Amino acid sequence: MTEFEPKLIGFLCTWCTYTGADLAGTSRIKYEPNLIPIRVMCTGRVDPQFVLKAFRQGADGVLVGG
Amino acid sequence: MSNNDKAKFAFYWASSCGGCEIAVVDIDAVILDVAALGDIVFWPCATDFKYKDVEGYDDGFIDITFFNGAIRNDHEEHVAKLLRQKSKVMIAFGACSGLGGIPGLGNFYTTEELFQQAFEHSPSTVNPDNVRPQPSYDVPEGTVTIPAILDSVRALDQVVQVEYYIPGCPPQPQWIAAAVTAYAEGKLPPPGAVIAGESTVCDECPREKSDEKSITEIKRIHLVENDPEKCLLEQGIMCCGPATRSGCEAACVVAGQACRGCFGPTDEVVDMGAKLVSSIASIAVPETQEEIDALMAQVDDPAGYFYRFSLPTSMLFRSIHDMTEGQ
Repeated sequence: MTEFEPKLIGFLCTWCTYTGADLAGTSRIKYEPNLIPIRVMCTGRVDPQFVLKAFRQGADGVLVGG
Repeated sequence: MSNNDKAKFAFYWASSCGGCEIAVVDIDAVILDVAALGDIVFWPCATDFKYKDVEGYDDGFIDITFFNGAIRNDHEEHVAKLLRQKSKVMIAFGACSGLGGIPGLGNFYTTEELFQQAFEHSPSTVNPDNVRPQPSYDVPEGTVTIPAILDSVRALDQVVQVEYYIPGCPPQPQWIAAAVTAYAEGKLPPPGAVIAGESTVCDECPREKSDEKSITEIKRIHLVENDPEKCLLEQGIMCCGPATRSGCEAACVVAGQACRGCFGPTDEVVDMGAKLVSSIASIAVPETQEEIDALMAQVDDPAGYFYRFSLPTSMLFRSIHDMTEGQ
């Protein structure tokens, strides 16, 4: 049995969290590949249905960043 | 059985309360048009046709089957498949058939929990020997069987293919008449259509909306006097209008009762519960996590309220705690 690797979905605001994640990349900061980022223009765009859909399709966790 | 070229209609009830059957009669004089247009070839509630009559029909013999009720047991599943085979057009009639409905709330529990409540814990139950219904039972004359309950409640389209949906609890006469008229004139919409309005109940609601954040506390409608001119949701009374399909002319809200969501979601909404939470969030005043938690704690049974008619067809479908406990 391999170690549990969570599948995480991140709804990231393009102006802050997504930019932060981008900056981490350009700064060559390493982070775990478990988070799949989905860029949104504002976290106000995130509908609770998105979160449910992510879990329904197998996500172990959802991060709303913004 | 008639052999003329009139249309053939069938009506069936599965897991439902009987209100949909009343709704058929409630179409008033239009029922005469239905009778002029076609023959009823199966309707257990009102006619004496038997299952073996239906089994004897050719495939596609029935033009339209109006099927109400959710699929709760294996008998209902069997009849749904039989009627599907014998019908050209299958209409999910009413909220239970189209969405899962009130019986669908059973999906929040395991079958064992439901049986415990029904046969042990409910206040009106006296059952010292803990008798449970058995799907089959041997008696001297032979074996007696009753339908076996299924693990989950399902809407009709989760069991067989469905062409149209007439929503409502119960369906409104004008939409039943619209469906029958459309069929008579050969103007039925493309398969998959919901025969009702296309916007939300809020769009039809005559109450005044301010578009301002106004919910500071949640009130239950029978415990307060509501302002008949103002939006119920803005008065802190949970109303399912924002996520619910139009077509009822906001009948409940006009009568002073909050919308319960029986027409189901609009085409744009997938999950009514999530959409309703979103609607409340957009007009709630509290901003800190503690204040929000305190506000939402005032909603009695939020899952049951927000998914009242649509749990089996929502993204949740059912609770799965039984499966994790069993591992």
